[in-house]
Amino acid sequence: MSEPTITPDIMRISWGPQHPMSGQTRILLDLDGEKIHKITADLGFTHRGMEKILENRTFLKGIIPIERMAMIDTPNIGIGYVMATEEVLGIEVPERANWIRSLVCEMSRISSHLYAFGLQVEATGFFPAVFLWTTADRVLLLDLLEELTGARFSYNFFLPGGVMKDLPEGFEDRVIEIVHYLRRRFKDYWTAMIENVLFEIRCNDVGILTPENAIRLGACGPVVRGSGQPIDVRRDEPYAAYADLDFDVITEPACDSMARTKVRFREIGESLKMMEQIANEIPGGPIRTRFPLFTRSKPGEAYSRVETARGEMGIHMFTNVGMNPYRVKINSPSLRHMYIFERLCELDRMTMADVPVVVNSLDVWYLDADR
Amino acid sequence: MSSVNEAEFVDAISASHSESIESATILRSKRVSVVVKLEAILEVAEALRDEYGFKTPSAAGGVDYNREDRMQMIYYLFNPDSKITLTYRVDLPRDDPSLPTLTGIWEAMSFHEREAHEMFGIEFEGHSNMIPLLITPDWRGGYPLRKDFKGEAPAE
Repeated sequence: MSEPTITPDIMRISWGPQHPMSGQTRILLDLDGEKIHKITADLGFTHRGMEKILENRTFLKGIIPIERMAMIDTPNIGIGYVMATEEVLGIEVPERANWIRSLVCEMSRISSHLYAFGLQVEATGFFPAVFLWTTADRVLLLDLLEELTGARFSYNFFLPGGVMKDLPEGFEDRVIEIVHYLRRRFKDYWTAMIENVLFEIRCNDVGILTPENAIRLGACGPVVRGSGQPIDVRRDEPYAAYADLDFDVITEPACDSMARTKVRFREIGESLKMMEQIANEIPGGPIRTRFPLFTRSKPGEAYSRVETARGEMGIHMFTNVGMNPYRVKINSPSLRHMYIFERLCELDRMTMADVPVVVNSLDVWYLDADR
Repeated sequence: MSSVNEAEFVDAISASHSESIESATILRSKRVSVVVKLEAILEVAEALRDEYGFKTPSAAGGVDYNREDRMQMIYYLFNPDSKITLTYRVDLPRDDPSLPTLTGIWEAMSFHEREAHEMFGIEFEGHSNMIPLLITPDWRGGYPLRKDFKGEAPAE
């Protein structure tokens, strides 16, 4: 990093990468007393060269590393890569497979939003109570996912042309059981945290991102919806089974950290609605079409967009004649939000105590930004 | 002008900037590609933002076509009204890939241009903060995403 000139009354603090709240990155904070003067993000601590790795693997083997981009939300990232592969190779997906994909994606989204909510609560000083509640509730979802896919993280469950396995016997009933349980729990969370006066004091009017700035700076996902803009890839260009599912695009008008937290929280309710609908109405039929292990591609390209828990992710895949992609460009939501985080202290007044609240309300996942 | 479908957009930009662009094509629904001439990149970018509503910058990155001796810089833009994703491309010579920065038009392209610089060696004239984004500053191994990258540091 090149060192900018520091005037005598500005103090520079290095926040992370070993700080318990910072995650795997370093953020340089130039402080003027308590007020943040400038934020500089020093990314790359977990850069693994994902795009180069994918160039050297066959289409099928690429599914394994790309899901490591964000361990908390692997299916939503895997589906983007698999959809791009299907588009370049011209593979059709059966309807039942699409519904199973949506089910897994929504379960993962709930798990990721619960984790983000737990971290947000932790950042405001309520550790450990609610963080442990959300962790305990996530275990129920992970148990279900383990039963379906065989793994608690990093499922590698989506293949070009479908999914790996069909739903086990009685799985739909267990999904509905969990949906009812989690709905009860969310009432508890709402009264315990969202309506908690201390939580409101820490989050209201902190890190305000106006709708114009959100659009101009490239916000996506819950961040842009927290600024009142109904932008959601699942609605704008439906993939998997989202065209057939009933859900609302959640927006909040307040534009602050609280609005972004509420958007995530209310999205969990929409995901539960979708899970219930999938469990009740899933169509029958085959779960995958044949995908030969050694498939040769023709020259072409495909750009797939999916809505991960953190926002829009794009996978741009270029192919030549061969068994590997020629180039894969991963457009991750966290990198976009990291730039917004750098700029937020200039757009709105921010103090040192607000930094963990704001960075968690943006839900930046550094491994996703670093790739 | 901002909320139009793909075909209307391609017709409009082909008519208004016929001298400046090399091609404008619909890849599939909600995906449009515009290849621009290097000397007109700023002028067309400004029109895309102000007249055609591509206000949201999504990302930017390069592609190395070493056999054709060229590189392509791609900017990913999104129109929040018509929900069209545009890939805005410019071809660059491989021995001297440089272009004017687009951070004056989409400020958030800053991080993505820094990444393209360290990964492909593309120069962005006028970028105010061209320091490495992901790779460590003392990296001497070349440009990792170029096709002739071997993964070895040159002998000193």
